[in-house]
Amino acid sequence: MAFAFGLAGARARPLQDLLHGVWLGHPLHPVITDIPVGAWTAALMLDTVDMVAPRPAGFRQAAQLSVGLGVVGGIGGALTGVTDWQHTHDDARRAGMLHGVLNTVALSLYGFSWRDRHRGRHGRARVASTLGYGLTIASSYVGGRLVFRHRVGVDHVDGRLTPRDFVPVLLDSKLPEDSPTLVDCSGVPVVLIRHEGRISALGGHCPHLGAPMVEGWLYRGQFVCPWHGSRFDLQTGAATSGPATSPLSCFQTRLREEQIEIRRIPPAQLATTGQTATTEGAQGHES
Amino acid sequence: MKADQVLIEHHDVLRGLLKQLEATTDDQGKKRQKLLDSLVSELGVHVRIEDELFYPAVEKVTPLLAISQAEHRAIDDQLAVVLRTDTGGPDFATEVKMLAATLDHHAGEEERVMFPQSHALGEAALESLGTQMEARKKQLERSRFTQLLRSAKREVLRRV
Repeated sequence: MAFAFGLAGARARPLQDLLHGVWLGHPLHPVITDIPVGAWTAALMLDTVDMVAPRPAGFRQAAQLSVGLGVVGGIGGALTGVTDWQHTHDDARRAGMLHGVLNTVALSLYGFSWRDRHRGRHGRARVASTLGYGLTIASSYVGGRLVFRHRVGVDHVDGRLTPRDFVPVLLDSKLPEDSPTLVDCSGVPVVLIRHEGRISALGGHCPHLGAPMVEGWLYRGQFVCPWHGSRFDLQTGAATSGPATSPLSCFQTRLREEQIEIRRIPPAQLATTGQTATTEGAQGHES
Repeated sequence: MKADQVLIEHHDVLRGLLKQLEATTDDQGKKRQKLLDSLVSELGVHVRIEDELFYPAVEKVTPLLAISQAEHRAIDDQLAVVLRTDTGGPDFATEVKMLAATLDHHAGEEERVMFPQSHALGEAALESLGTQMEARKKQLERSRFTQLLRSAKREVLRRV
């Protein structure tokens, strides 16, 4: 799989980021999967109505269109799903495999169904799509379990909005350049990074699967997750490259009496206040 | 030799190659290419003996397997990036540094956490696993087929 994406060359990472949904701020996969589930539900209803009380050909055409739309959406779901799946672990990986296999069979059945409809063999086509529908529903259940039980695609960052007010966490002189340093802020793990004269304070756990970010490193001015190589903006914590799609928690920093002080920036404000202290004594944003 | 010792020694070989690579300058394109070729081979062998022999053996005594496998993938991806990067260009050093960071983290984590956990298997088991791994390593290093496959993969990644 690594080799398959490797074949995309320099476009491999942008392509995966697109499929993960980094640009969207949350996984793209569940957005796309609504298309096949919705379209195939519509097809099933159209088929049922047409069978109970045969209508003019318009219903059959509509059903065929719905099946086709679902197949296109299903391919999108498969591409985004497999991209996310490659970065899962253990039980989630096994459940994801089951989800993928069931969906691939369902998608194939709908593919056959579309071809049969195209050739006018509506009876056989309806059997295939009804079987496919059952599999889709079973597989959607597994997909739901992947999220709600295995927490795949769920934001793993610590959501506590503490500390609300600036608290000192480390002596300014104790923070080396470009070397992520873990501080404990009343139970909240925070990673401090001094890079090119600015101090950033970001959450201690990766939003993707909760990796300990203090073991991460810097690459082209971005903070890299040690497990799957997600990248984050130092100023805002925003994910710039996947598999992570949501931001690291982000803290404001300032210097007071040789001490680095931090306070949590509420996520909703992030867009306007990505403030960080500079070592030149220009202090961070104050309320 | 014990299994974890075999791997630590090989980690040192890999780290050594990366150190040499980091010490090269932009005008040493040929040398960079040669070092990269050895790195691809050594990494290939290393990942194979870990995936085939060591990881299955320690499955019961460490919770780190999934993470280690994810890190192998990250190393693989970054190696592909390095292979694609012009050996005489300004980006090469940056990408090699990224590869070194990725590999250092992975090797360090294994040495700090996973290998001590593997001691739960007992001396004798680690010793025989180590012997097996050394034999497989030699075999992989000698195998013409593996060499061919690796260089084919390397050249494909280099050209796309």
